[in-house]
Amino acid sequence: MINRARLMSLDAKWAVIIVAVSVLVVFTVIPMLYLIFRSMLVDGALDLTTYREVYSNLVNWKAFINTFKISLIVTLLSVIISFPLAWLVGRTDLPGKGFFRTVFIASYMIPPYVGAIAWTQLLNPNAGYLNEWLVHTFNLASSPFDIYGMGGLIWCLTLFHSPFAFITISRALEKMDPSLEEASRVSGASPLRTLWNVTLPLMFPSIFAGGVLVFIGVGSAFGIPAIVGMPAQIEVLTTRIVTYVYLGTGKGIKDATALAVSLMLAANFILYASTWLIAGKDYVTIGGKSTRPGLVELGVWKWPLFGLVSLYGLFAVFLPLGSIVVTSLIKSLSRPIALDNLSFATWLAALKNDQYMEPLWNSFVAAAITATLATVIALFIAYLLIKTKVSGRTLPDSLSTLGGATPSIVIALALIITFSGEFGLNLYSTLAILVIGYMVKYLTMAVRTIAASLSQVHPSLEEAALNSGASWLRSLKDIMLPLIAPSIVAGWFLVFMPSFYELTMSIILYGAKTKTIGVLLYELQTYADPQDASVLAVIVLLIVLIGNIILRKVSKGAVGI
Amino acid sequence: MAEVRINSVSKLFGEVKAVDNFNAVIRDGEFVSILGPSGCGKTTMLRMIAGFEKPSLGEIYIGEQLVSSAAKSLFVPPEKRNIGMVFQSYAVWPHMTVFDNVAYPLKIKGYSKNDIKSKTDKALELVHLDGYAARIPSQLSGGQQQRVALARALVSEPKLLLLDEPLSNLDAKLRESMRFEIKDLQKKLKITVIYVTHDQGEAMAMSDRIVVMNKGVIQQIGTPTDVYETPANRIIADFIGLVNFLPGEIKDGMATIPGLGLSLAAPEVPAGAATVAIRPENITIGRAGGRLSGTLVHKFYLGDAVDWRVEAGGFILRVIDKGMEHDDYRLGDTVSLDIKKYLVFPGQP
Repeated sequence: MINRARLMSLDAKWAVIIVAVSVLVVFTVIPMLYLIFRSMLVDGALDLTTYREVYSNLVNWKAFINTFKISLIVTLLSVIISFPLAWLVGRTDLPGKGFFRTVFIASYMIPPYVGAIAWTQLLNPNAGYLNEWLVHTFNLASSPFDIYGMGGLIWCLTLFHSPFAFITISRALEKMDPSLEEASRVSGASPLRTLWNVTLPLMFPSIFAGGVLVFIGVGSAFGIPAIVGMPAQIEVLTTRIVTYVYLGTGKGIKDATALAVSLMLAANFILYASTWLIAGKDYVTIGGKSTRPGLVELGVWKWPLFGLVSLYGLFAVFLPLGSIVVTSLIKSLSRPIALDNLSFATWLAALKNDQYMEPLWNSFVAAAITATLATVIALFIAYLLIKTKVSGRTLPDSLSTLGGATPSIVIALALIITFSGEFGLNLYSTLAILVIGYMVKYLTMAVRTIAASLSQVHPSLEEAALNSGASWLRSLKDIMLPLIAPSIVAGWFLVFMPSFYELTMSIILYGAKTKTIGVLLYELQTYADPQDASVLAVIVLLIVLIGNIILRKVSKGAVGI
Repeated sequence: MAEVRINSVSKLFGEVKAVDNFNAVIRDGEFVSILGPSGCGKTTMLRMIAGFEKPSLGEIYIGEQLVSSAAKSLFVPPEKRNIGMVFQSYAVWPHMTVFDNVAYPLKIKGYSKNDIKSKTDKALELVHLDGYAARIPSQLSGGQQQRVALARALVSEPKLLLLDEPLSNLDAKLRESMRFEIKDLQKKLKITVIYVTHDQGEAMAMSDRIVVMNKGVIQQIGTPTDVYETPANRIIADFIGLVNFLPGEIKDGMATIPGLGLSLAAPEVPAGAATVAIRPENITIGRAGGRLSGTLVHKFYLGDAVDWRVEAGGFILRVIDKGMEHDDYRLGDTVSLDIKKYLVFPGQP
């Protein structure tokens, strides 16, 4: 009996490995390899002419340099802002720190392009709310700020990408044993000296990891550069790629592939090099009993720092959200913000407009299908990774990580050239190609969450089920699934939410009948319909907010991103 | 010099009283343990002495210096208290070598390079880690890491050393030998030690005096003998060592246990319901001549002793015997029990 059960479980496991690996190989590995292959092939021979031609065009070369320059500056700014913020919120008696912590962590869920739309409303040189207010208050002759430009681009990217650094750093700070800092205090070091000598060096690997996350995120970002940079003729690699794809010519696609391969190789190189650099430096410290860390008293600095942190919260969250909500409600943009200038007219019109509701529905359906498929696949991948000793068990996980680390625009382009009928499968302009793109990019989120939960389940629980005569699939259903159910729900939402408001892949994968909400918002913004854009942005934010509340409920706050 | 005086200290976390009116004087050079179950407030008290928590009420003096006073809103931060402290999790910094870990307090205090070298080497020698200076902590065992923490706490020759369950992460054998090492160090350095633990064996073996806490309140302060032989109340008798509790009644200065046919002198306990407490090692088993008779019902052979269960008058008594020829006795034998020592507390068990 036992032997037969074990044999069957082995078979089932192998079947699962094969299915998971082949799905990932077909949709991740082959398209990416084909992308590289295509970019280096001219008339059937290996040739790097495409690269030479692409980069001899000054616009592309500048875009390449811009991508690196902007990513580097935003990364540095994000780290410089996030570490002090995380420390103030986690280790000091800053007033309202619990509130700030929640706000800064939650701000990751604002889609970056929505942030960009908001800041164009606040700081456009013609009638930006904040510009107007500054002109009025300080009696200025003209608008002091113009969001369209390098400064505005870096401003928006920092505000909406730094939450990833903040989350990484504050998680690590919370996990650090506070007695490491207390030992420094009793040794005679002041709080600031302790911060410098102990906290900062111990946190360095996490700060570095958070920085890499921001760097790659910014380098792959399309929404903010397209909305804030392109009007000022500032181009980055992603915007160039989209422009080339939109040309629709064979030459355009070819140039796009060369740029995409550059971006992909740079991103993967940085990711793997940095992982290698900090490998083994992630200090594991034995936790003692959970004493609450002694809080550093800020003394006279308490209120000035509170002011600074509040100001940051205002810029990163409250002003942009407020601007979007107000714009969605305003009757006439040329009149000042007042109660008699607000109404639900725009809302009612937008909600009745099929051209708006259809993309919203498309995104909802595509995201729900993606999340469901991804969760099932992630479950098997995580199970293989954590619960088996089969050789090759890490392969599916590595492939899903590779997909997550690859810039969205690269995935989208690779899918287009691979599945446009060239290999007998034509998915062009279908919902399926959107779902595949989202899945390649976000599968790793579900794998990480479910794997973390699975590693908490002691192997003896499953062994006891097998011992009682249950087959592997039966024990998975009866024992494992109920135990890790919260992480499955969490994994579903972690895939659903970014898929729902996705822009970068959708902008080149959508078809006439599969326009998504991200694409629609981008179009409305570029065709200067800020009011309808705001209504839809508020709807997106509400759906994401509800998703997050459910996520926090099921995972009891353990999973946020 | 480093006498520690704690006057009416309380600590509230919201509505919860973690420490309630703590009063104690720890004399210069004394080794005092604060003993109690987890959550009894002992660590909170230690953290208030260290300066990581502010007392809600009361005052703390270290030597002549008032370091904390709720009434005067006075609070000296930990870095200005000149104390050494060892943490449960060792708190050895993983990014520094053993030498740099131990030398850190000296560097902060601005000692010269030569002084730092000689004092650090001396401290490492003291904890038998000479030769490990260049290692990094991840290359050390738990016991060695705890020695690094100890050397770091002692290197700047503080007058007061605080230890927060320093041995609880070590394995049993090492824990046992570290007890004696820490005690030896304390004697050699004549330093005042406050030691927090939930392990009564540790507290008994090392301390000059023990402060027993429960639910934030001091139950008793006394020498290990006091606390074990004459516990102030039933909670302490139960928490420290093993004990048989029997329900009794006081009348005319005598405690009688109904059903057992036993009466014991208890002149200081008020009349009414009472609890008779007898430690298992204070009951002897013999063939005849005892005050009680009982039947042997279970036998657990422990190597250096035998742990018996004896049925007597409807009660099951636990008896630990280290000397008797247990092979002479069989389960089911009727035996005669004698009681060497007992305690009587007011109230039902």
